[in-house]
Amino acid sequence: MLKLDNVSKVYPAGKNEYAGGIRNADFNLEPGTFFTMLGPSGCGKTTTLRCIAGLEEPDKGRILLDGRPIFDGAAGVSVPMHRRNIGMVFQSYAIWPHMSVFENVAFPLKVSKAERYSTAEIDKAVHGALEVVGLGGYGARSATQLSGGQQQRIALARAIVHRPKLLLLDEPLSNLDATLREGMRTELKRLQTELGITAVYVTHDQTEALAMSDVIAVIQKGHVQQFGTPQDIYFRPANEFVAGFIGHTNILRGKSLGGSADAVTVEIGGGVRIRCHADADQRSGETVGVSIRPENIVLAGGHEVANENNNRLIGRVGSVSFLGNVLHYVVTVGDQAMQVESNPDRRFEPGSEVALSFAPRHGRVLPVA
Amino acid sequence: MANSDTRFNSISTDTQMAQRKSRNPTLWMSALLGAILTILVLPAVAILIGRSVSITNPDASFGGFTLQHFARFLTTPDVLTSTYNSIVFATLSTVVALLFGGVQAWLVERSNMRLKSLAYLTTIISLGTPYILYVGAWLFLLGRAGPVNDVYRLLTGSRGVMIDVYSMSGMVLIEGFLWSPLVFLLLSSTFRVANADLEEAARMSGANIFQTIWAVSVKMAMPAILALALFVFIRAIEAFEVPAMVGMPGGVDVLTTDVYKSIKETIPPDLGYASAYSVVLLLVVGVLLYFYGRLAKNAGKYSSITGKSFRPRPFDLGSYRWIAEALVLFNFVLLLLLPLLALLWLALQPFMRAVRLSAFPAMSLDHFRVVFASEYYRELAMNTIVVGVVAATAAIILTFFVGWLSARRKPGGVLLDQLATAPLVFPGIVMGVAFLMVFLSIPLPIYGTIWALAITYTVRYLPYGLRYSYAGILQIHKELEEAAGVAGAGPLTMLRRIMAPLLSPALVSGWLFIFLIATKELAVAALLSGPNSQVVAVGMYDLWVNGQGGELAAFGLVWAAVMTCLAFLFYALTKNKA
Repeated sequence: MLKLDNVSKVYPAGKNEYAGGIRNADFNLEPGTFFTMLGPSGCGKTTTLRCIAGLEEPDKGRILLDGRPIFDGAAGVSVPMHRRNIGMVFQSYAIWPHMSVFENVAFPLKVSKAERYSTAEIDKAVHGALEVVGLGGYGARSATQLSGGQQQRIALARAIVHRPKLLLLDEPLSNLDATLREGMRTELKRLQTELGITAVYVTHDQTEALAMSDVIAVIQKGHVQQFGTPQDIYFRPANEFVAGFIGHTNILRGKSLGGSADAVTVEIGGGVRIRCHADADQRSGETVGVSIRPENIVLAGGHEVANENNNRLIGRVGSVSFLGNVLHYVVTVGDQAMQVESNPDRRFEPGSEVALSFAPRHGRVLPVA
Repeated sequence: MANSDTRFNSISTDTQMAQRKSRNPTLWMSALLGAILTILVLPAVAILIGRSVSITNPDASFGGFTLQHFARFLTTPDVLTSTYNSIVFATLSTVVALLFGGVQAWLVERSNMRLKSLAYLTTIISLGTPYILYVGAWLFLLGRAGPVNDVYRLLTGSRGVMIDVYSMSGMVLIEGFLWSPLVFLLLSSTFRVANADLEEAARMSGANIFQTIWAVSVKMAMPAILALALFVFIRAIEAFEVPAMVGMPGGVDVLTTDVYKSIKETIPPDLGYASAYSVVLLLVVGVLLYFYGRLAKNAGKYSSITGKSFRPRPFDLGSYRWIAEALVLFNFVLLLLLPLLALLWLALQPFMRAVRLSAFPAMSLDHFRVVFASEYYRELAMNTIVVGVVAATAAIILTFFVGWLSARRKPGGVLLDQLATAPLVFPGIVMGVAFLMVFLSIPLPIYGTIWALAITYTVRYLPYGLRYSYAGILQIHKELEEAAGVAGAGPLTMLRRIMAPLLSPALVSGWLFIFLIATKELAVAALLSGPNSQVVAVGMYDLWVNGQGGELAAFGLVWAAVMTCLAFLFYALTKNKA
């Protein structure tokens, strides 16, 4: 459906320095996929989206939509944006203030060169689109009189009214308040599924990405760090950046003593050895990082006997704070501060010695970035 | 995907054609505008420089290169005198304008004084009134037989005059008065965005009113004030009305009147010398504008506007309030009421005479009758309106496209921006000289028609149009136009259906502004209008020179009334936007 073939668009800052943009983006989406590009601001996700839309021209690479090249650096092809037949929702919604709701939504049909629409057809399509986004009957209103959430829906209606094959969404929820955002998230996903449209979504919010996507690309400094399902990304992060960006995590540095993928031994500071999982068999002697999520660590008193199969580390509680559903601890293990989240039923005061235990499958061996 | 890859070859030619067909509009637009602007702007510069270093034979053929025109600067002391006069004139009138306009701007914008509307009224009416009319009125007021000297003689019993208006000090006063409304307008916007908290913080720290105004209000506005001062200084160097009407009769020559005289009062016109003079003036203004650009960049340095909810609180002047009100009232009387009364007096009297009780019975509406009945005045007005409408429309249309190409960094945008800004360095009189020579040397019968004026005005006001459209476009969120592109609209459709409607307030303001100043313009018109292409400013100047003050006043009052209506419209539009 949408294929990016080694697409690069880099904004250099001086010599070889990265100031934004994307390098060698390479992926292929099946029809109907909800695809999210996730990363911190300035990572290049929006640049990639704008390259797909035709708002930016990549430096090199190929973009194919439905098998047709809409950009091909080598062949000198660049279909201008207004002929790509893509729907897009902008971060600022970009609702034209001088037009009514109806006129805003009807615009793509009115300017269409590929097809001439009759007034009746336009009427029907616009009302249909407004109905779909839950704004039936709002057509005659002035667009600027509506609330942020409603403008968001107009933008969506405008993006889908001409039945594009691809829908691009550039942080569409970032300007909404928290409750509205959750509602819109669910609705966006429902709409996308109903319309069967392929969607490319850009966000820096990991919750949005995890909740809505079929496939996520985590991007940092112009490089795609990992491409996979939300489960892949969360449970099997490819590197320290992904592990840290999606949810919270602790990274322990150590030396790999080798082993098969599901039984790697890593020696961390002070000769302590822990058993972990990795994506592949590990060679002995390499420096690695081990990612352990705070919610996967169980705390116990320092002298309590724990499950033999789990890893066990001894530390001292530095601080504890009550967050409602969990207690959040900072525990010092050796010279490393580790975050632990545990059930508030039992509380360890600062200064007390505790044992941290976690299952080997919760320790993910990651290459050092 | 394998499937689609086999289809790839057959489709690629199709898309390549699509690309070629439709990326062109922007490039075509750039190229077309580039061609138009080059034809409009470059010949004037080229011919000016060319003529300044060449000899033109009596039969208009080329007679070789020379530096003799420039060499004359060294042999005649006139140039030094004129330059000196220009600088003194510009500096002092800037001071006068800043004092009158600046104090008033702060009081009106930031204090709790009453009578604020008087200040705006003065400003708006002065926007619509031709300079010549004002200058004429003040010349009458301050003249030998005028009421000011009358009162002086009455009080002192002397037979002399308090001020001789046809002198440098007269020029400075009148030019300063002319510019103070503009200073007021521009500085009031600076003071409006100043954060009241900062002034209140100074008061809370124990500063009194004057310490606060000096240490906070004025110091914070300093970058803007400096930029504005240089701007007024440049306009005063370029000024023509006051030097022509006050300076020339009084024997005080400045650079612009020197240029004018070498064309109008030398037979045959000394175009080489005028060109050399113009080149010097061009360089001076160019250098000054360069510094102005650097100052203007810093002008907003301390502007502290914070958000939409921002509402400045007025500054309580306490018991000093009446002084402020007296000051504004004085300004109103001096800048508006007295000139208007003087004009009314002149218009109602059969001939120019001093204000005497004995002259009241002689009042009549004869001059107004003549003005309304005369074909000549109707033609003046029509010509002026046609020229103003054509020039404002052409300049706004051109700068709409240039502004978009430049603001959105499209190919060629920077170059187009520079081309359209270039006319700024031309003082009116120099532009007049340049286009005079251009029109005389092309085979088209443009010289002497109103189209010569319309074309020259279009070029002259391109920079103003560009500022309006460029600033307007920058305020329009880029995603609004990108959304149109993604929705399937090409660049031209986008400009027509999204950009033009969204920009219309800025475009209308720009149009009105250009129309208002184009209909006042004297310097260009003085050189370019022929017997059949007279415009209001030139007509008024002739009336003044011929001593027909009565008709001048009557016609001027009618004309100014109409223009003031437009000025009100302009003001209302720009105010709503801010």
